[in-house]
Amino acid sequence: MAETAPLPLDPRAVRLTASAADRDDAILQCGRALMEVGAVESPYLDAMLERERAVSTYMGEGVAIPHGTLKAKEVVRHDALCVLRFPDGVDWDGERVTVCVGIAARGDGHLRLLSALARILMDPERARALREAEEVAEVLRLLEPIEEEE
Amino acid sequence: MPERTVVIASRTGLHARPAKLFVQAAAAQGVPVRIRLGAGRSVPADSMLAVMALGAEHGAEVVLEAEGPGADAALDSLAGLLSRDLDAEEAPDA
Repeated sequence: MAETAPLPLDPRAVRLTASAADRDDAILQCGRALMEVGAVESPYLDAMLERERAVSTYMGEGVAIPHGTLKAKEVVRHDALCVLRFPDGVDWDGERVTVCVGIAARGDGHLRLLSALARILMDPERARALREAEEVAEVLRLLEPIEEEE
Repeated sequence: MPERTVVIASRTGLHARPAKLFVQAAAAQGVPVRIRLGAGRSVPADSMLAVMALGAEHGAEVVLEAEGPGADAALDSLAGLLSRDLDAEEAPDA
């Protein structure tokens, strides 16, 4: 169960001061960030919107984790994350989101990434630091997987 | 304490969508339910973060536990949910 492999977060896919008109705009910005690092092809963006309509990817602690549907895996070139901070907040079906972690994963990669991310966010201090991070290096540091203490 | 052992049926494991459906169902029970993976610590079944952090894969065995009036009915209902492939129920054009 221990997962200590680094998360596939390219510093170029971290944006500290994004702003979005609404939820879908924020999702599309995540999709474009994943495209810009070569992780996904353009159909992945629609798949992210489709997934969000099927079930909200709001995760708690002001964080949402938009990602594509199962069907869209074929347009994923490699596993990747992006982190977009929205300091003004985005209305996410009634929840306020200030951090979006966009996810692209092939195969069973989703589960490993989501589990690692959830473990990080369960630490309230770390979640707060992520919401308030002002440097890309800090975001990268905060998303280093937590080692299992068991 | 009443328990149910159940194998995760969803193809992609207990992740985003199946996890959300499970957490919502757990929260709707009248009794607190906890879930654990293997010999790990049990966590509240109605916490999205805690359930996602388990990282329960397809075919993994999890244990649900609850105590008090209605515990057995709650466990049966949630175990039934996990033993279905919740990914397969994704509406084709949803």
